[in-house]
Amino acid sequence: MVVSGAHESRTIQVPASVDHLAEVRTFVRECVADFGGSKRVADDLVQAVDEATCNVMLHGYKSQPGDIDVEARLRDRKIEIRILDRGPTFDPTTAPERDTTSPPMPTRPGGMGLGIELLRTLTDEVHHSARPDGGNELTLVRSIDSQTQEE
Amino acid sequence: MAMTIDVERLGGNPPVTVIALAGELDASNYEQVIDLVRTAYAAGSRGLVLDLEQLTFMASSGLFAMHSAVRIMRGETPPDAEEGWGALHQMAQDQGAQASNVRLAAAQEPIARVLDRTGMLRLFALDATRAEAVSAIQGA
Repeated sequence: MVVSGAHESRTIQVPASVDHLAEVRTFVRECVADFGGSKRVADDLVQAVDEATCNVMLHGYKSQPGDIDVEARLRDRKIEIRILDRGPTFDPTTAPERDTTSPPMPTRPGGMGLGIELLRTLTDEVHHSARPDGGNELTLVRSIDSQTQEE
Repeated sequence: MAMTIDVERLGGNPPVTVIALAGELDASNYEQVIDLVRTAYAAGSRGLVLDLEQLTFMASSGLFAMHSAVRIMRGETPPDAEEGWGALHQMAQDQGAQASNVRLAAAQEPIARVLDRTGMLRLFALDATRAEAVSAIQGA
């Protein structure tokens, strides 16, 4: 694990293995707390980042060696979390939508098929871009003041 | 945070196994839960309580483990990892899809929220305490 940065922008790098998901969750939780976010905002972002990162590990890298960078920053009272990988290009925002209110959601362990709907429920914005030199950049944005769509 | 698991096998009718999860349930450890449920069923348990009081995080992998638990306790083959959405969705459409012999207990608010927002509470009863869940299965 490598952590760098200070103040409103921080980065963690972990190997693309599910054994490192807990480090990512701890990183996100600590960042949200330091940025001044509530426990509820932290819970939602931890859930979203775990889902997205696990997807990259299991279905992007397909358990092959690689690294994942997770960057967190606070800008204009919005928490932005970027998940960067070097796996095959995959844009989850174009995946078919499913009804998240109808069980069961899980179709596969790890990524589980919860996909984009869960990320959208837990965050305010989800953006994907292919990295010019290969890989994916997935950005999750959550207002530090926001409530979720459920509230 | 690692997950720790405590298993208690109770007598009564039907025999119930209580699996208490503490810590974080994610893609690195969900298979342990499935294995323990399989072991409990093989040993004769026909009721299962998942005590979530000390569980602080549950990824979607945990939902998959719970789903597998329902199938195992029905005497069915647990879902294959690649079985896909369709077959599992069909299960939820069945009348009486909520498992009567698999109950969840004492979930903290963040865990209950995950269960609710993913629709899993249609498949599981959630009781306030482990004792209530056991009583509900054994009809006490």
